[in-house]
Amino acid sequence: MALLYELAWRALHAILHLQRALVSWFRARLCSWNWRLWKRAVAALLVPVALGFQSRKKLGPPAARRGCRRPRWGADGRALEKLPVHVGLLITEEEPRCADIANLVVWCMAVGISYVSVYDNQGIFRRNNSRLMDEILKQQQELLGADSGKYSIEFLNDTEQQVCKPAMVKVLSSDDGKHSIVTAARQLCRAVEQRERASKDIDVHMLDSMLRGSHVTSRNWLKFINVLVYHMKLHVFVFIPLAFLILVDLNLF
Amino acid sequence: MSWIREGELSFIEKLTANILKAGPMPKHVAFIMDGNRRYARKCHVERQEGHTQGFDKLAETLRWCLNLDIREVTVYAFSIENFKRSKEEVEGLMELARQKFKKLLEEQGNLEKHGVCIRVLGDLTLLPLDLQQLIAQAVVGTRTHNKCFLNVCFAYTSRHEITNAVKEMAWGVEQGLIKSSDVSESLLSKCLYSSGSPDPDLLIRTSGELRLSDFLLWQTSYSCLVFQSVLWPEYSFWNLCEAILQYQLNYWPLQKARDQHHEEQARQQLEADCSCVAELLQQHGSARPAEACNRQDLLLSYAVDRDQRIQGFLSALQHKKDSFFTDLTSQAVLA
Repeated sequence: MALLYELAWRALHAILHLQRALVSWFRARLCSWNWRLWKRAVAALLVPVALGFQSRKKLGPPAARRGCRRPRWGADGRALEKLPVHVGLLITEEEPRCADIANLVVWCMAVGISYVSVYDNQGIFRRNNSRLMDEILKQQQELLGADSGKYSIEFLNDTEQQVCKPAMVKVLSSDDGKHSIVTAARQLCRAVEQRERASKDIDVHMLDSMLRGSHVTSRNWLKFINVLVYHMKLHVFVFIPLAFLILVDLNLF
Repeated sequence: MSWIREGELSFIEKLTANILKAGPMPKHVAFIMDGNRRYARKCHVERQEGHTQGFDKLAETLRWCLNLDIREVTVYAFSIENFKRSKEEVEGLMELARQKFKKLLEEQGNLEKHGVCIRVLGDLTLLPLDLQQLIAQAVVGTRTHNKCFLNVCFAYTSRHEITNAVKEMAWGVEQGLIKSSDVSESLLSKCLYSSGSPDPDLLIRTSGELRLSDFLLWQTSYSCLVFQSVLWPEYSFWNLCEAILQYQLNYWPLQKARDQHHEEQARQQLEADCSCVAELLQQHGSARPAEACNRQDLLLSYAVDRDQRIQGFLSALQHKKDSFFTDLTSQAVLA
């Protein structure tokens, strides 16, 4: 009997894996047929639908008649009642393409999202930060054209303090997660060891401010999955079929 | 309605369960039971009725989990953030909790028969004293059971849990039980409210919301997260099977990521130990660097000492936690 159940289980999983493979193959065909159109359709349809915006103001006739993509992104962003302040991109592919992530970052910036964090478990982008930066600047020129000058992008590393600029991009890896909480915990325990603090003084706000850093506003650092999820309490997951997982900060106000 | 629903699966359900059990099964499942209020609106009943139906569904889900050999279940019953709801709703939920824990105390025999251990995770000092006492009696009364475990997160948020763990470690340092250099990811995990449980393999959230809402953020780093659109009071055995199937489909990649993380943790611990030993040698004013074999011995000796300190600290911490519940139980008896 156990053998029969195992065979049935294997058959079920074979069917499910086949279904997944067919769907991926179909998507890949569609993507190669018209990549840009597909990406924009995904971005235009899936993100607002997934975020469940109740209403959108209609765009004025001049923007629609001009048929110009670039000013429309800004107008689209302003037309939304709620816009996330911080978007986190969790890369689930083993060999992510720089161009894809750069595209998403530029779209986020163009729509008016101030902070973008990019995470991959392998730390690929952490190690090749400059490659991603170059690709983003290139995509910025390509996609935004004459308007690219309106948007400046700042890359932040660990030691740099944040300065308020229009768009901030941070690259994260698995070191940024629980590790950062453990480091903060060690610092607090050291302070207790040296009689600078008492254990009863430690509370959520103290740990929060240590993790956020003194110059970072309350909407910033996203750390996800293995990475730390301390700040994820109100974050919404948006799954899109490009091997990305986007996290959206709902601390919007 | 009872906490434990007796009953067997139907023939089709049993067949499906047996097929699923041929593959890797989650040993610990966490549920965010969302959708009670929406269900109440949908069925045009009072909110309180929605929460009551939600509890009944919990009892049914526990039975399914037992039938599927899932021995540990954690549920998110009440968040610290929920205190911000209307006074009427909060009082209603507290009253529902009182009724359910009183019912639990009446079912001690049944709980013993099934070997169910109840744990309540959260900052219980935020709750009314009478509810704290009821909870304490339920926890102490089922403490020795070990066939299956139900963890109820009540007055809980993950941030509070993590902060509390840091506070406990700081207490350990204050008492001279551990050093600040002993603080590690593994030690922090052992100081969480959920330290008695392994990390959940599968986390399920109902009602279609795609967020974690400050639930088990530390523990679910390598869990399979499944978001289902069904409202909690309408949850079915087939929804649970669908979630388990998702877990099985993602089992190997998650296992690989988890193993890599454990290797990385071990490497970081070794590095930390080396750095502590080097610092100690410097403090003791060693004139020349220790030879390789001496260094290895020192490292081993340091690691053994560290483990002993940590064991002593964890025993003291467990005693503190146990005393909290036994003191409450004594107060309830005297009252």
